[in-house]
Amino acid sequence: MPAAPFPERERIDARDKVLGATAYAADIPLPGLLYAMMVPATTPKGRVETVAVEGAMQVRGVVRVLTAFDFPALPGPPPTPATEIAYRGQPVALVVAETLEAAIEGAEAVRATYAGQAFVPLIDSPGAARELVQPKKAGNAQAAMAGAATTIEASYVSPAQHHNPMEMLSTTAVWRDGKLTIYEGTQSASLVRANVAIALHLDPAVVEVKSAQVGGAFGQKIPLQRQTPIVALAAILIGRPVKLVLPRAQIFHNAVFRPKSRHQVALGADAGGKLTAIRYDADHQQSRKGTLEPGYHESPPRMYGVADYDGTAAHVRIDTQDPGAMRAPYPHPAQFAFESAVDELAHKLGRDPVAFRLAHQATTDPISGNPLSSCFLNDCLTEGARRFGWERRPIAQGAMVEPDGTLVGWGVAAGGYPANVSPTIATLRVSADGRTRFAVAGHEMGQGIRTVIAQLLQRELDVDPARLEIAIGDTAAAPQHTTASSRGTVSVGAAVTAAAAKMRAAMAELIGQRSIAGNIHRQLATVRRPFLQVEVSTLGPGQDAGALDRLRAGARAAAGPEYPQFTSFSYIAHFVEVRVEPSTRRVRVPRVVSIADCGRVVSPRTAASQVRGGVVWAIGAALREETEVDPRFGGWLNADLADYVVPVNADIGDIDVGFVDRPDPLFNAVGSKGLGEVAMVGAAAAIANAVFHATGTRVRKMPLRIEDLL
Amino acid sequence: MPRKIRFKLNGRAVSTDVMPHETIVDMLTQHFDLTGARESCGQGLCGCCTVHVDEKPVSGCLSLAWFLDGANVRTIEGLADGDNLDPVQQAFIETGAFQCGFCTPGFIMMTKKLIEQHPKPTDDEIRHYLTGNLCRCSAYPEIIEAVKLAASRVGLRN
Repeated sequence: MPAAPFPERERIDARDKVLGATAYAADIPLPGLLYAMMVPATTPKGRVETVAVEGAMQVRGVVRVLTAFDFPALPGPPPTPATEIAYRGQPVALVVAETLEAAIEGAEAVRATYAGQAFVPLIDSPGAARELVQPKKAGNAQAAMAGAATTIEASYVSPAQHHNPMEMLSTTAVWRDGKLTIYEGTQSASLVRANVAIALHLDPAVVEVKSAQVGGAFGQKIPLQRQTPIVALAAILIGRPVKLVLPRAQIFHNAVFRPKSRHQVALGADAGGKLTAIRYDADHQQSRKGTLEPGYHESPPRMYGVADYDGTAAHVRIDTQDPGAMRAPYPHPAQFAFESAVDELAHKLGRDPVAFRLAHQATTDPISGNPLSSCFLNDCLTEGARRFGWERRPIAQGAMVEPDGTLVGWGVAAGGYPANVSPTIATLRVSADGRTRFAVAGHEMGQGIRTVIAQLLQRELDVDPARLEIAIGDTAAAPQHTTASSRGTVSVGAAVTAAAAKMRAAMAELIGQRSIAGNIHRQLATVRRPFLQVEVSTLGPGQDAGALDRLRAGARAAAGPEYPQFTSFSYIAHFVEVRVEPSTRRVRVPRVVSIADCGRVVSPRTAASQVRGGVVWAIGAALREETEVDPRFGGWLNADLADYVVPVNADIGDIDVGFVDRPDPLFNAVGSKGLGEVAMVGAAAAIANAVFHATGTRVRKMPLRIEDLL
Repeated sequence: MPRKIRFKLNGRAVSTDVMPHETIVDMLTQHFDLTGARESCGQGLCGCCTVHVDEKPVSGCLSLAWFLDGANVRTIEGLADGDNLDPVQQAFIETGAFQCGFCTPGFIMMTKKLIEQHPKPTDDEIRHYLTGNLCRCSAYPEIIEAVKLAASRVGLRN
């Protein structure tokens, strides 16, 4: 039976956070700690010919300098210093010293020479290599488009962006008694463990990775970080703990980033104004050997029940570091394009954009042919329109003007995001002394996964919440999945449900027919049992035990959104007011209403926080954020927080968040679907659509800038 | 060469030897195991390293410890009175004004000063006063609520 609505509770980690007592990876105190600094390549492409380390070794306090020659030879591109330079800023050496200051001074004294090569800096530069991937098709979009009474076609662009969590990338490695322990902010502790073992020719059994608290991640901390095996080898060779915190400019150049992407969308509607055909060609910026798929066809086919869909996608390979997933990696840019196009089509048809969307309720996934497990997008649209006051919106552009000339516009757009789930292996121990320990996969990056676990546990079992230990982000506690793609709540929901059921059965067996008063801890004390422990494993719909093996190995183990019997997506509708200042053309966003369908909401407080955060991310994406390449030299131009402009308090107005909060019992027992990513999806298009409503100008690229509205 | 500095840290008289290049954040972390003030942007514009020096908010990642001799320094760790949280800390909890929490100490230290200068702050005053504090998780709407809640309670107490 699906769960009833969950109560609003404070975050269980709140007190430590306001006390400044939360320890992120770089805060772990270690005796004998050495400090490291990386030396970045100063060429965009080529081969390292020499690395002179003598100058660095003469700096007082420098202990050792590691270069490519210190590492085991490996097939393929190693995640270590390499002699082949694929991008500006790639690590050439690591200087390890007694103090941070000596490490910095030493790094500046390292001299490398390069045999440079010609490089390709931009996706529209000569030499950029286009590489098509498998198309995504359903029905016959070509025929449907040919028969359409009304069509629109347009191109949209989404820029390169960097995640910039407040916590900088860091690695601290300890080698002691033949065991390597790595402390770092990661979303993938088991993946890090497996890949460090491969890079350094170690048995994974001697490697542990601990990431108990992460200071924001947003996808940046999914893959193995470039510095991790380098720092680990330094700790092994020197025999003392080594810590590296990357300066922010080095993070810009070595972390993954959201690749620039281009989106050509054509829509066709029949004589009755019904959307009948979608053609969508996408490509994105890619490194020479990068693997991030151009997976932009996730959400558009699952929004409006259109049977005829024709999608192509391609890499455009240039000389850059590997791109990666950044919050809502595909649906955010895809829905910016697609939902802008839907707005353009509704406008051409003379239809209200909310009414137009409401007339296209999706029930089936045209790609798989299976039903959607649930889709309450129309509820999101209806409730959002009501709260926003959409019925007062004039259909004409430029019709709302303030006395000072400020142009006001109202826009709407929708989003969808795959509902994913990971298999889990979890251990629950309840003790007679009042303690409870739950060990499971999950990384706390701020989204509130510990609070979600506590919510679920307290519903299932009468445990003492004040003495609850939730062991996550630690390979020593449980195999760790990659906590991404909004799969955290769904996955731990399955684990808690299964563990609690097994615990209740074990208690029933222990207690038998007796009636014992008090909570579960008191009951254990009464029967003189110090503790009960159960271990469970769970699988996503349609998964077999092989998924658990992959989870243990730190390999990709998650499932979704296509399951054997159904396809699962979360949905959201955003309503946005923009105000365009008359003299500067600066766009402000004073008011947003966002209503989400994420199935059952497990933690109302952190859920609402996720949606507000996602909307702010979309405001930043729509109006500010772009990382720009210097085509003369390669590398990023605006590689700091002064020039990569993220939203601050003064940029943000009212954000009203609501939830449909209807469970999806087909997908899982709790009925939840996932939220952190869908929160952002579509909101940038809603802003662009509102700007069109205010000004009559259609801007088809992010960020929308002042000069686009002059 | 190091220099011995004597100053007040969270109400306690302390002394330590610092080098000319050591920032306040480095000193707090390495000499006193206080990690609440953290470096993030390294440019004085994100506010994660905010501490109070002689009652003024400063960026601890840009300020040198060398000049703290004789100063009165307060960090996030010195805000609560034993188990009793400061009203600003309590308000941040009740409104859920953070996600990852990395920026939270800086926001709280800045909010202390905001409320001193604007006992009944308007939304606009809060938004502009806190423009030097970045929260990438983007708990900005909740932070506005936290500041207003804290201000209302501090006002009642005074």
